[in-house]
Amino acid sequence: MAVALVQPIGVSTQYVVLDGVLLHQVLPDVADQSAYLSEAAGGWTLATYEFFFVLGIPIGAFLAAWATKRFSTRLVPGEWAHRFGPIPGRRLVWSCIGGFLLLFGARFGGGCTSGHIISGVSQLAVSSLIFSAVLFVSAILTARWLYGDWGKQ
Amino acid sequence: MKLLLGLVLGAVFGAALQLSGASSHTKITNALRLKDMTIMKVILTAIGVGLIGVHLLDALGLAHMKVKDLYLPGMVVAGAIFGVGFAVTGYCPGTALAAAAEGKPDAWATVFGGLLGALVFAFMFPDLETVLMALGQYGPVTIHESFGMPGVMLAVPLGALCLWLAVRLPDPGGAR
Repeated sequence: MAVALVQPIGVSTQYVVLDGVLLHQVLPDVADQSAYLSEAAGGWTLATYEFFFVLGIPIGAFLAAWATKRFSTRLVPGEWAHRFGPIPGRRLVWSCIGGFLLLFGARFGGGCTSGHIISGVSQLAVSSLIFSAVLFVSAILTARWLYGDWGKQ
Repeated sequence: MKLLLGLVLGAVFGAALQLSGASSHTKITNALRLKDMTIMKVILTAIGVGLIGVHLLDALGLAHMKVKDLYLPGMVVAGAIFGVGFAVTGYCPGTALAAAAEGKPDAWATVFGGLLGALVFAFMFPDLETVLMALGQYGPVTIHESFGMPGVMLAVPLGALCLWLAVRLPDPGGAR
């Protein structure tokens, strides 16, 4: 938790940074035209404290999963298979669409779980409290609908 | 040096996510279906410690406060979109990275979709900025400032409440 105190953390911004840097490698002109990308990925570099923090997340998770022997390559989560069947393609497509919505929503709101819910609410920011409240209502309703709690009882 | 610090702190955070079960689709969706309180406990603990820690440091003049601007309609739309993505994938942008590192292919798809989503947003931003974000723009407001009181007075009791709730909520399995 010292992490949250050193500096407000923000994972979703780093998705933009990586996008910006990659795009700048491939199509520098297009990347330069976007003020949003230029501002997020200042100098088109990944060598920042923030990016390395986010880079550390999968490393730490990998080590933890390896140490506790929880490394798994399961493709379709149980809850999902229960409702939508064990078809890998369907899960992958929906994961991709869901990921799109996640980051689109996060950037729209200016933060994700780490930036808004944890860092933002800790600072008693009204924007973060509203974002978090709407997020949970939306997620709970979607989960009930998706994973079939309605119509079963 | 700062890069290394970031990497190490990130790794600690990633390990904590993995060990607490926050990178598990089942745990997240069960949390959203209000069946398993593990994730709620983790979030409440983080917020509780954060509330007390940030505001104590702030009172000492040591905190890096970075309050996000409030733009009301945009916040509601953004939260709703994020929520749907959260329930469908069972990951958030950070835990998807952790789950991807555990070897879960659907988390890789989520990260890929996320990169696309962030990119599309970056190019839609000039249009969205004028339409939605201009409405109901209040700037970086916080609860305690709008009541005109020091943050610590509100944050410490609230933080204590979060931690109390985190302890009191039933353990997984216990509620069923």
